[in-house]
Parts: sequence; C-alpha cells; structure tokens
Amino acid sequence: MDTLKVRDAKDVEEVVRAAIANEQPIEIIGHGSKRGIGHAMATNAVLDLSALNAVTSYEPNELIITLQAGAPLNDVLSLIDAKNQQFAFEPMDTAPLLGTPALGTIGGMVAAGLTGPRRIRAGGARDHLLGAHAVSGFGDSFKTGGKVVKNVTGYDLCKLLAGSWGTLSVMTEVTLKVMPKPEAERTLLLRGLDDAVANKAMTAALGSPFDVSGAAHLPKSAFRARIEGLGDLGGEGEALTVLRLEGITASAAHRAGSLRDLLAPFGTTTLAEDVASAALWATIRDVLPFAAGGALGAWPVWRIVCPPASGATLGAQLARETGGDVIYDWGGGLIWAALPPRPDAHAPAVRARANAAGGHATLIRAAEDVRRDVDVFHPQAPGIVALSERVRAGFDPKSILNRGRLRRGAGP
Amino acid sequence: MAIMMPASDQAVLARRAEIVAALRAIVPGEGVIDTPAEMRAYESDGLTAYRQPPMVVVLPDTTEQVSLILKYCAGQGIKVVPRGSGTSLSGGALPLEDGVLLGLGKFKRIREIDFDNRVVVTEPGVTNLAISQAVAHAGFYYAPDPSSQIACSIGGNVAENSGGVHCLKYGMTTNNVLGCEIVLMSGEILRIGGKSAENAGYDLMGVITGSEGLLGVITEVTVRILQKPETARALMVGFAQVEAAGECVARIIGAGIIPGGMEMMDKPAIHAAEAFVHAGYPLDVEALLIIELDGPKIEVDELITRVEAIANGCGSTTCQISTSEAERNLFWAGRKAAFPAVGRISPDYLCMDGTIPRGALPKALARIRELGEKYQLGCANVFHAGDGNLHPLILYDANKPGEIERAEAFGADILRACVEFGGVLTGEHGVGIEKRDLMPDMFSEIDLNQQQRLKCAFDAQGLLNPGKVFPTLHRCAELGRMHVHAGKLAFLDIPRF
Repeated sequence: MDTLKVRDAKDVEEVVRAAIANEQPIEIIGHGSKRGIGHAMATNAVLDLSALNAVTSYEPNELIITLQAGAPLNDVLSLIDAKNQQFAFEPMDTAPLLGTPALGTIGGMVAAGLTGPRRIRAGGARDHLLGAHAVSGFGDSFKTGGKVVKNVTGYDLCKLLAGSWGTLSVMTEVTLKVMPKPEAERTLLLRGLDDAVANKAMTAALGSPFDVSGAAHLPKSAFRARIEGLGDLGGEGEALTVLRLEGITASAAHRAGSLRDLLAPFGTTTLAEDVASAALWATIRDVLPFAAGGALGAWPVWRIVCPPASGATLGAQLARETGGDVIYDWGGGLIWAALPPRPDAHAPAVRARANAAGGHATLIRAAEDVRRDVDVFHPQAPGIVALSERVRAGFDPKSILNRGRLRRGAGP
Repeated sequence: MAIMMPASDQAVLARRAEIVAALRAIVPGEGVIDTPAEMRAYESDGLTAYRQPPMVVVLPDTTEQVSLILKYCAGQGIKVVPRGSGTSLSGGALPLEDGVLLGLGKFKRIREIDFDNRVVVTEPGVTNLAISQAVAHAGFYYAPDPSSQIACSIGGNVAENSGGVHCLKYGMTTNNVLGCEIVLMSGEILRIGGKSAENAGYDLMGVITGSEGLLGVITEVTVRILQKPETARALMVGFAQVEAAGECVARIIGAGIIPGGMEMMDKPAIHAAEAFVHAGYPLDVEALLIIELDGPKIEVDELITRVEAIANGCGSTTCQISTSEAERNLFWAGRKAAFPAVGRISPDYLCMDGTIPRGALPKALARIRELGEKYQLGCANVFHAGDGNLHPLILYDANKPGEIERAEAFGADILRACVEFGGVLTGEHGVGIEKRDLMPDMFSEIDLNQQQRLKCAFDAQGLLNPGKVFPTLHRCAELGRMHVHAGKLAFLDIPRF
C-alpha cells in the first residue's frame, strides 16, 4: 500500500484529487497512534500528515495556538507548558491503553476528540477548536472558524470536524484555545464506597459551588492488583473516589476544606496535592487500570458516555452481568469498561444498558476480528444516521476519506 | 432597505388565502395571524432598520404542529422564517414577503429540571433569564447571559450561539447546550444528544448551534446549569490612554487570570452611560475597564489584589473596587445600559459586533476614529475586552438624508478592518442579513460553498430562512457536483514510503 507523505496543504489537495479521480479511498494518518480504533478501512493508500508539523503561530497572550495537523502532541504540550499554559480539555494519551508507541499528533487529537477528566468543567476538544483549514472530499481547501475565541460567523464546521475521525475532511491546520495552568491542585480521596454511593458523592461535589474539575471513581476490583501512577494513594483492592480542585493556591486549599465538610457524610477524606494529584489524574485520563501491558490488557475496552447520575447503575450492572471491570470519570458520565474477551465483546449487553440510560458506547479497544463483527461506534436512530450520511456526503460525496471507519459494512 | 432578499414567489403569494386556510387546519384558533395590523408586530426584529411584513404568521404550540407546518410548506415550496423572541440584532428573524413566519413564542414551558445531572430541559420559547430563575432556589444558574436575557428566548440563543458578558470564563451557548429536539424542513422530528456530556457520531448539536435558523426549527433544548459562584466583586479602572487599557487586559490574561467578565468603554460611551445612570464613572479618562472576578471569597479577594497591581503597573489613573453587591451592580449599570444610553444622545445608532485578537485593540480603535472622521459620524465603543469582541455604536440620524447609508458604510468598513486585523465579522450577534454581504470579505467562495453544502444536508430545497447568512444562494445539485481534476491522477512527486 502506498504511503504518501505530504509536505503542505497543496500536496494534500493533490492527493485527495487524485484519489477522487481514481476512485481510490485513502486512509488519513498523523502518527497512526489511533489506527486501531474504528473498523478496518476499505482504503488503498495512506495519506501521512506527520511531516506537516509546524507551529504556525503561538500567542500566549491571545490564549491561542495555530498548528499544522501533524504537529506532535507531546512537543506542543511541552511548548505551551513552558508558557505555563495547557489545553484545558486534558487530551487523553491513548498509547498505554492501546499499547502503541507514545506518539500522536494534534490532528489526531482533534479528529478523535478524546477528552480527559476536566471535561466536566472545561468542555471537550470540540469546545477548544476555534478554526481549521482542511481539504474536503471534493479536493478543495477550505477554512472555517477563525483565530479568535468569540466568533459566530457562518456555520461552526469546527464542531463537525472535531470527533469526525477523519471522515469529513483532511484537517491541515487548526487553531486551538489554550488556557493558563492552574497554580495548584488538590484532590480529595474517599475510600471504600460502592459505586452507587460514590456516584452520589460525586453528584454532591459537582452540585456544589466549589468548582470541582475532576470527579472519578475506581471501584474495588479483583482484577487490578496495583494501579500504576497511584503510588501509595491506594486503589489496591479498595475503592477510591477522587475529587479535584484547581486554581490559585489559597482558593484550591480553601475549597478542598469546604468540600471535605460537604462530603463528611460519605466518610473521611485524605488529600493529595500537586504532583501526586497530577499523577493520579493522568492515571484516570489515560485509563491506566486497563493498560495494554497490565492484567486486563487482553480484554476489550468500552468507552460509555451517559447522563452522569445514572453512571453507577449502568456500570455496576454491566460489571456484574459480564464479570468485567469498570472505572468512572466525569462524575459518572464516562465509564470505561474492560470486559472478559468474547467474540462479540459483550456488545448486546453494553448497548442495551447504554441505551436504557440515554447514553452511548464506543468499542475503543478490541481485536480486529471482533471489530469486524461488532459496531465500534454506537448505532444511532435511523433519522440521525440518514442526516449524518447527508452531512458526510456534503463533505466527501465519494467517501474517499477513511472509508468504512465509522460504520461496519460501509466500505465497498 | 439596502439589502436584496430572494425574489418573492408570485405563485405562492397568489395562493395566500389557501395557505392561510391550510395553516389554520394545523393550528386552530388564534394561532394563525393574517391581518396586516396584527402582523405588524412581527415585521422586524432587533435590527429595526429593516422591516417586512410576512405573508402570514403561525404560532404553533406543539412539536407535531411544527412538523405538520414544515411538511406542508416543504410540499408546497413555501419559505419559512423561524422566530423566537425577535431580539436578533442581525435581522435573523426578518420576515419574507412570500414566507410563513413561524413563531415559537408558545413553547414557554420548562419541561424538566434535573439537578443530579445538572441540566434543564426546556421548550425554546422560554427566556434565557427564566431558566436561571427556575433553578436559582438551588443555587444554580444558566451561564450565558446576553444583554437581552430578560427577553431573548433560549431557542433563539441556540440559533444564534449567543454570548454575553460572562462568556470569557463560562463559554457561549454552544459550550452550554447538550441536546435538542429539532424539526427539519421536511417535517422530520429528530432528537440530538441529551443529558450526556457528548453526543454519539458527528457533533450535529455543535453545528446546529449558531446556524441562524437555516438548518431546522428547535422545539426543545437541554442546557447545562452551573452552581452560582460564591461571590463576585468588580474593579472599575480608568486609563488616560486606550493603549494602556488594552495593555492591562493583555497582562491580566497573561498572568493566568480569567475574569468572569472584562469590559471596556471609550470616552463617548463612558459619558453617555454616566449621563444616563449616574454610576460614578470617571469622566476625564479615555478608557474604562470593568473587571469582575467571581468564585470563592478567598480567591476573589486575592485576584482583586493581583488585578489592581497589574492595573497600577499599566498606569491606571483611577481604580475603584466594589465592596458590596450594590456597588458592583452600580459599576455594571452603566455598561449594561450603554446601548439605551447612547440612544439618548443620538436619534439612531447602529451596533456593530466584530471580534479582533486582543492585541489589535489599539490599532482597531485608531482605525475606527479615522473612519469616523471620514464618514463624519460619531461612534461610542463598548467592548467585551477579554475576548476582543467590539461593539462600536455608530451614531446617526435616520431623518437626515444619506446618514443611514453613511452609517452602514462606516460599519462595514469597521468589520472589514476586524477581518484585516485577524478577526471575524461577528462575535455574538450573528450574520443574518446585516453582515451577509460582507461574508466574502472573510470567506472564499469555496469556504462558503462548503458551508452551504451543510445546509443542503438539512434543507435541500433551501426553504428555511433563505436570504440570511449567505450572499449568494446555490442549488444543492450544483454544490454537490464533483469537479474531477483531470491530468492530476498520479500523486505527482509526493514522497512515498
């Protein structure tokens, strides 16, 4: 299979136009770190964006950065970290979960839209994408959005591009919002709660005025002997419920005190500060309990998004029913479920539970033969499927870009 | 009226009586309005320079009625203009002579308040403020706060992706909406998203938000609600030069502080506001910043100290810090009343809405001054300084021949300057008809065609709110045509691996 390493947006146009003319679908990759997510694609060539990797402009005082799509995520994170800034949506590093090298590009981050624990407060990748240049499946370069935070000029096509898994257009350059890093972080830890009580504790915390920026629960598990990154904070054979407060030091400490008082009915809290707290949240963000190299590395992993207050019911029932293991983020609104291997990855149970809760589930990690038989992305109502198809056809009528990635049997 | 709207369909107008009867069959009683006197209330929105009575007004009160109306109109090739409270400042709800005006004013019920999931499910005709009021008893509120929040509807907020003073910290509508029920022009009813943080599949909610009523008619919205910050305090800081005020804004952001709101007013705006509300604004300064910090008291007190130090470092000439809610509200009173205040010193004004990079503020103000001299018109400036969103208020008198044309040309030049400085045509008011013809100054034909292809996915006949946002309308068949670029079949000289 041809891999075409493009150097600029013009090259991308040329590749897409040739692909259209030859009716040859192409796969779009940055570093290829997330190629294992989605269905096997019916593509004949690879469009490799990794050489399109420049920082176009970075203006810390404007709180924006403009990057070519192939810019390495880690380099960009270091660059903005040096100015004490961050992507507030806490992009997930999928490498440990998928067992791939620690790589990944900005384009991949936006196209996958996998957002970390701070989503409950700061929103997702889609909320931080201000503008984009892209090449559509018509072979045309277009731009959408802009380089300012506040903009309602025309349709917000950025929202569609974020999380579209490369199926609408090839993004060549993106402008993202950056935010100041908090001066301090404090995490309160509650031990020994069952899922339902933990969900209530998280709901109480998120319904408080203390500006909680992370709310996660790691249930007691027979499978996870030890969780990397937690150090001596626990989580070994004991449930751990964690709540994060960030901001200027005096405020984070003050709110931690107030939240401790609020959570007193749920038990005694302990406190993790700054470095220890950051390590804990990286563990949750990257789903290290289910890391490819860990005890559950061979199990399929689902990412279930649901109304937060129904998380515990959904997760606990699913774990019981399948003999699997779950962890909760976003106050219960995000469930990561590692389930014992089966040819169908327990899809009927997962999807039934998710539907009943008003949520949806994505099979993030599974062997290729499982993904051949199971819908990776959540099946939607017929009207939404039809509208989504019309939207896709408006960007890529010949389905040249990542054909077959989102829908089983959508390939030729 | 200086703007061209799509040509009226005479065949539709000739069938008006029949159309009115058909709508009455769907919405009985007083839900269909067809007398000229009664329809006058709907002939314009907040952009009052433009007026056009609709062919007929229909006010359904169920989703099924909305669906039947749209299905009927789609079948008959009749244009439809949706309308919420009619507070659009860009003419988004301006009726069409041959169009049905579909008002959502009867959708006034909050359907569900769910504190555990921190959402409110509401009908679109509920006002922005009413949502906050409905959850206030539990300490919650809905964060986006457009100045018209007492009147504007949440459905309209979604259509326009409305902002407000506090969106610097809390985001615009798009960052605070989770799901909706929408009726497409075909009459199809779809549910998108819900109480989850993210939707499955393409982010349709994201693109519906801010689509200015061109993609569908929203009949239910699910919004996120937040706990009210424990306290809020404001600083009112005066500067002898606009540049120093701009520098102060940049340094506050640069120090990692995101205020709840950060507003700037220039001298003419300060004087107009002070004369109107007597907020105690300093009259001898060139620029005034109102900076609000919110959060826990300990944090607010600390940040007030830091911001005051930054302001001093930028050469502020006056600095007052609120010590009570009454005082904080007084600081805001002038800013919030800036538009009516300007209305007192000028018979008419045009409110513009461009956004620029924060750093370009002094440059933009200098340009606005030059343009004011060129067009011989006054201009008072209020800005959402924190996010670079400018609201120049161009002063004119509609009774003086030629003034409105000069004012519009002045406004268009300001918006072109915003684009030139790296910004955009509209930060929160929408394109509507007001900035429609300026779209090519910001977007290429290819960019605009790509946007219109999205419209085709929702409304292939182009019957929903035509004439808004896009200066040139194309048929969907034409937009969908592939141009195969012959002779470029071979990936030429791109490196292969």
